[in-house]
Amino acid sequence: VINESTGVEFIVAAIVAGTPLVYATVGELLGQRSGVMNLGVEGMMLFGALAAYWGLVSSGSLVVGTLVGIVAGSLLAAVHAFWSVTLRANQIVSGIAIVIVGTGLATYLGSVGDDPLVTRVAPTTYGPVFPESMRDLPVVGPVIFGHDALVYLSWLFVAAAGVYLFRTRAGLAARSVGEDPASADAAGISVAAFRYAHVIAGGAAAGLAGAYLTLALFGAWQDNLSAGTGWIAFALVILAAWRPWRALVAAYVFGGLTSLGFNLQLIEVDVPLDVLSMLPFLATFLALVLVSSRRIARGIGAPAALAEPYWREHR
Amino acid sequence: VLGVSSVTAALGRLVVVEPRPRATLWLGLVVAAVSILAALAAGAVLLAATGSNPGDVYRTMIDSTLGSPRDLSRTLNLATPLILCGLAVAVAYRMRLWTIGAEGQLYVGAITGSGMALWLGSGTPGWLLILASLVAAMLGGAFWALVAAVPRAYLGTDEVLTTLMLNFVALYLMSFLIFGSMSPWRDKADLARPHGAPLPEGSELPTLFERGNAGIVVAAAVALLVWVLLARTRLGFQIEILGDSTRAGGYAGVAVPVVIMLVFAISGALAGLAGGIQVTNETAALEPETLNQGLGYSGIVVAALARLNPLAVVPVGFLVAILLGSQTGLSIEGIPPAVVTVLQGLILLFVAAGQFHLAYRVRRPGVSARRSA
Repeated sequence: VINESTGVEFIVAAIVAGTPLVYATVGELLGQRSGVMNLGVEGMMLFGALAAYWGLVSSGSLVVGTLVGIVAGSLLAAVHAFWSVTLRANQIVSGIAIVIVGTGLATYLGSVGDDPLVTRVAPTTYGPVFPESMRDLPVVGPVIFGHDALVYLSWLFVAAAGVYLFRTRAGLAARSVGEDPASADAAGISVAAFRYAHVIAGGAAAGLAGAYLTLALFGAWQDNLSAGTGWIAFALVILAAWRPWRALVAAYVFGGLTSLGFNLQLIEVDVPLDVLSMLPFLATFLALVLVSSRRIARGIGAPAALAEPYWREHR
Repeated sequence: VLGVSSVTAALGRLVVVEPRPRATLWLGLVVAAVSILAALAAGAVLLAATGSNPGDVYRTMIDSTLGSPRDLSRTLNLATPLILCGLAVAVAYRMRLWTIGAEGQLYVGAITGSGMALWLGSGTPGWLLILASLVAAMLGGAFWALVAAVPRAYLGTDEVLTTLMLNFVALYLMSFLIFGSMSPWRDKADLARPHGAPLPEGSELPTLFERGNAGIVVAAAVALLVWVLLARTRLGFQIEILGDSTRAGGYAGVAVPVVIMLVFAISGALAGLAGGIQVTNETAALEPETLNQGLGYSGIVVAALARLNPLAVVPVGFLVAILLGSQTGLSIEGIPPAVVTVLQGLILLFVAAGQFHLAYRVRRPGVSARRSA
């Protein structure tokens, strides 16, 4: 029973499930381009999701909620930036710590108090932007005009990130900081400033990804609702070869994989839920093995100074 | 952005940061203690801001884990997998193999360990049942680690992400065995409420006192073995060399891929053993929802706090067991137990910051000769 409408539904489901991945992946990509690896995506996303939901429930405004989520993700990212840029701490350990702190904070703050957020009902959620007449058009209606504002914003974000990195002077400077910080420093570019800005921007994007989860996708807060999406976003940076447009494609492919369960049910194929949940992780593992031989990784554009702290004294 | 760079520049005029020749044990202890205190202080701010009295909460944590012989015995049981996972992480991190896979290896160890116990059945002599289950658990954990180790050794595939992805694969595999299929691990007598088949009588370790089993003795003995391995054997020496520099190790004639796979296998076997002990003693059946409590991730906190020293892992594992073990006690008092997760993350964060002070010293310029820039 595979027909045109199932195909359209599949694409729409892939876009919906892929949108948090788009934000988080492109955000992480920005930080890595400047030479800082932040494993903390999952933690920043969960903390952003919780904070955004708190913002929405307390103010009744989606915009306020979204902004609170962005700020929350940025705050955790700023901690990671301080640790990895200023303290030159091990970025892997610091990133794992950010995941644990973010996950713990989100679960704690979601369940604390007499009227915890986990039991609160969302006053409103993000809905379609365009009028029904446009959304009812065949194929392009649901695929192009059927989404909420955050989906369109994610397209703008990808375009902006692509133009910034590859078409502007600041983007060139940022990439040079990730490739060869000593030369960038000698050219008068502040390595620390660029790294801070990029890591924090990445955290803002992860927070926005979290906001999308609570304010658009679920319309509620529940513990651990990102269920590993943040980790997949981190892996997609490699699979997308550190390029925003490829990240968009990769995010939708993995969004499709994530929503496969729902889609297989549509065409009445019975696959155990656990096997379906396993698929994105298994696919990511296999894809990483395929592309990430270090020689290939350099060839496809991994920043040469990724995860290496910069010391002017050691130049 | 500009503010940050000018602050950094201003700091550069005030202090000089330079490599420290060798960190002392004393300094390591100070960093560990300060990390824990700083985490507790930050946690106190969070607790106070959300309407709890931090003093009461911390007292509850101590009382509920150390307050009675029975509480203490439970805390020791929890320390067992934490010590084993801490050792698993420490062995790998010594060689700068950044695995996050202890969690998944623990699940696979629980699957193979419980599988062996179920397959042997209750007619088997107790010692054989225990030994075979734990060996099966270690082999299972080692196998799961090798799935990531082989591509790491031969292709250079980054182990951080592959081990992490395999954690999720193992989690859903374990869940599939109980919730998604009619596997031998599932209890066929009660299909309405999916859960694990009870393991045969006698597959649990002997009891020491109250609820406490011999697991803690096993864990301490394993810690000693790992210390001997690292400090007194050829493999331990190769791990130290490769931890300093893969290239130097290659020049020195070390078969780098083989050592990588050996270290991963040992690390996986240790995490698998933790899973085997958990499943035979704590859950007595393959119960995905009880086994899935992040012990492997806590192993990273244990290893980092112990500064990758296998002997230090034992007391540190006990300390982290106090933290994790207090979750039930906190729930009873109406405190969301996730505060424990926050504290763990903060400890790891502060330990990571402390590494800076272990590796470098900060002094005023002009106090001694300037390093050439």
